[in-house]
Amino acid sequence: MLVLMLEDIRKLVKRTLDGGKVDGVLALWRENGRVGPHLFVKGDDVSTLEIDPKYNLAAVAILALASGAKKIALIGRGCDERALVELFKRYQIDEDAIEFIGMACSAEQAQACECDIPYPTKIQFGEKVDGVVPNELKNVDDMSLDERFAYWRDVFAKCIKCYGCKNACPVCVCQDCVLEDPMWVKKGEIPPEFPMFHLIRAYHMADRCVQCHECEEACPMDIPLTLLYRQLRQDMKDLFDYLPGASDAKPPLTTVLEDEKLEEGA
Amino acid sequence: MTFEPNILAFCCNWCSYAAADLAGIGRMDQPTNIKIVRVMCSGRVKPEFVIKALSDGVDGVLILGCHIGDCHYVTGNHRTMKRFQVLERLLEHIGIDPRRIRLDWASAAEAEPFSNMIREFTEQIRELGPNPYAGSYA
Ligand code: SF4
Ligand code: SF4
Ligand code: FES
Repeated sequence: MLVLMLEDIRKLVKRTLDGGKVDGVLALWRENGRVGPHLFVKGDDVSTLEIDPKYNLAAVAILALASGAKKIALIGRGCDERALVELFKRYQIDEDAIEFIGMACSAEQAQACECDIPYPTKIQFGEKVDGVVPNELKNVDDMSLDERFAYWRDVFAKCIKCYGCKNACPVCVCQDCVLEDPMWVKKGEIPPEFPMFHLIRAYHMADRCVQCHECEEACPMDIPLTLLYRQLRQDMKDLFDYLPGASDAKPPLTTVLEDEKLEEGA
Repeated sequence: MTFEPNILAFCCNWCSYAAADLAGIGRMDQPTNIKIVRVMCSGRVKPEFVIKALSDGVDGVLILGCHIGDCHYVTGNHRTMKRFQVLERLLEHIGIDPRRIRLDWASAAEAEPFSNMIREFTEQIRELGPNPYAGSYA
């Protein structure tokens, strides 16, 4: 079934390239035994195209477009689509420059990512499976404040401040990052000061994290970053009825909307 | 030795700082645990400021701005309010008692409410005790 889907995608990519409406198709390819992102152009051998492992291509689209392509198609999953939505509204990518070709993730993939929405809104390939709730979520919820503080303090004590989380994140796009500013994060100190470093990053992700899991996969120290970000995503939903990546709604933390209802006494 | 809380208050130039000033001029009785940082608007207070204060060992952080609708920059305090709600939840997720931070409003004329706020918050922090979260692993 997966093989069939892969074959179908390869065929579609070939047709799309031959059709000439896009300058290229951004997807994964196998080269020298490794799989990585690649912008397929007309004439490329599409039999090298792969769909596994999961690899968020949204940020790569910025590079592909910067290299001269005017319009590209992108083969992506739910998290790619959500990341693209965030990048559109943050003026990182022109919405018209992307033709999104969506595939739903398998149940195994959803489990591996502990993904709450393992499918895009536009599904062209694959079948929608249910979202996954990580067991650890209930564990931390049930802890007392002190237990939780001890939990995160221990977990973050492993951090080697490699910045892998930030670099892997498709929606971490600021030119100057506060996490590299000595005003907030001391140079040459590991683990980075707790709670400073990780609270700052978590706060900054609150209205943009699309739960793609890339940060956690990049983290060499197995820190459960998405557990914290997932809670914040839920907060954004509860407080402002806002879910990052779900729509083109403006991020509520950086905007004031004309019709915004606010009451006194936070 | 009794615990004397060390509290940081961010006051905006146009309302809450003026309220603090008025409380001073009126020689109102209030605890001396508060160190005020004057900012142009409560919207200037990035969550980083609050996190850093807690990380550096401050026992409690107050953010005081103009009432909603009265911000000198019209909607600065709207943003403060939204950010503050997220910050409170974030602190809770990571195990920091959100009662250590507070957002409130005081107009330039509200010297007495300002004094009361300071007194209440100081008492609250006194009950919570010294900041156990102060940064780093050293
Ligand atoms: S913070 Fe992690 S899970 Fe969220 S968008 Fe960035 S990389 Fe993906
Ligand atoms: S990827 Fe992990 S170890 Fe590296 S900075 Fe992020 S949390 Fe720390
Ligand atoms: S000027 Fe007082 S809150 Fe903006």
